[in-house]
Amino acid sequence: MAHEQGIDLYLYIIRVLATGAWVTIEVAVGSLLFSMLVAAPLANAQSLGGPTVKAIIRVYVEVFRAVPVLTQLFIIYFGLATLGLKLGSITAAIIGLGLNGSAYCAEIFRAGIEAVPRGQTEAARALGLRRWQVFRLVVLPQAVRMVLPPLTNFSIQLLKNTSVASAVAAPEIMLLARNLVNETFLSPQIYLSVCLVYLCISLPMIRLAGWLERRTGAFESRQ
Amino acid sequence: MMKHLADWLPLLAHGALQSAKMMLIAYVIALVFGAVLMLMRRSRFRLISGIAGIYITAIRGTPVLAQLFFIYFGLAEMGLVMSSWQAAIIGLGGNSAAYVAEIYRAGIESVSRGQIEAARSMGLRRFQITRLVVLPQMVTVVLPPLANQAVVLIKETSVASLIAAPELMHEARDLAAEFYMPLELYLLAGLMYLMLAFPLSVLARHLEARLRIER
Repeated sequence: MAHEQGIDLYLYIIRVLATGAWVTIEVAVGSLLFSMLVAAPLANAQSLGGPTVKAIIRVYVEVFRAVPVLTQLFIIYFGLATLGLKLGSITAAIIGLGLNGSAYCAEIFRAGIEAVPRGQTEAARALGLRRWQVFRLVVLPQAVRMVLPPLTNFSIQLLKNTSVASAVAAPEIMLLARNLVNETFLSPQIYLSVCLVYLCISLPMIRLAGWLERRTGAFESRQ
Repeated sequence: MMKHLADWLPLLAHGALQSAKMMLIAYVIALVFGAVLMLMRRSRFRLISGIAGIYITAIRGTPVLAQLFFIYFGLAEMGLVMSSWQAAIIGLGGNSAAYVAEIYRAGIESVSRGQIEAARSMGLRRFQITRLVVLPQMVTVVLPPLANQAVVLIKETSVASLIAAPELMHEARDLAAEFYMPLELYLLAGLMYLMLAFPLSVLARHLEARLRIER
């Protein structure tokens, strides 16, 4: 649609970028949920499981954290397709970013669980609470406070990582921006606009992370 | 796959070497430019600290891929043409510099004001305070996150393949297209990134554990 001119052209660009921004948010939220879903049992097994389980999870976390997310996406999207497992690009992006993120998320959850002093869980056990009651009533409420600031920072990282999904043709903002550049040759304007869109989403999150950090800091010093 | 391995490995190893080189150059840029940014951020002049603040926030709030596209394609459109290698080094270095500046700042702020005032009252000069009081303590705070930033950077070099900069991922994509064996090639590339990044992340954790005891 490069034949559009003047104001129409700019409106067209804005409309396309808005569509892409929405897909970006979908991929980010999808992979965040996926990460947390995978990470929760991993973190629990890490703090409760036997040495073999711990070692396996350790390897999982180390491998996923040491390999670039782009490489992981390519393995899932292009690699698995040759084995007959053909995933859509958005599905592949959510699984790839989610699996990658689960390694970071598991570490965040584990740190949150381990931040609750052992004495408290032992005291709760001594008072006759069951294992899951101890987790739900004693560990979880405190762990959540510890986990929220790093989890917000992790979400910002995840949002930025979604841009890499353009390389597996997921129609998020980066991919649509590249197509727009091919149509209009307005690359500086378009890529700057894309950065602005990312900033509009990430700045409130950066603020939130800072606020949560200060609040958790106050909570810790009160303890 | 085995019969191809002899063809692939030298090419992939060459790519890994280029990734390591790209990362090292970008890291040095980040360490130096990060220090400049931190000093600007702490400047008494509002304008200078404001510019540094905006730069740091803008970099941290946007993906490195968007930054690379702007530097490589956007600036070329505006008349500043760079090779993809140059764009990758400037983009990755400039990106990490924002994070490094924050690491330095946290390091300086970890030294309590009381110590600086005490050193002052003992008659030490500003430069002596920086050299004898602030820097030695700052180093212990700053080293572990700096090592972590190196891990982030080596992984981010993979993104430079999307502006066709010559490095490991670019090599793997070329080979995957030629042999149509993407699974094998990207797994091999992943293994090579693991070999590059894992020692660094072990170092980071080692520093973290050691320096914590010292404090």
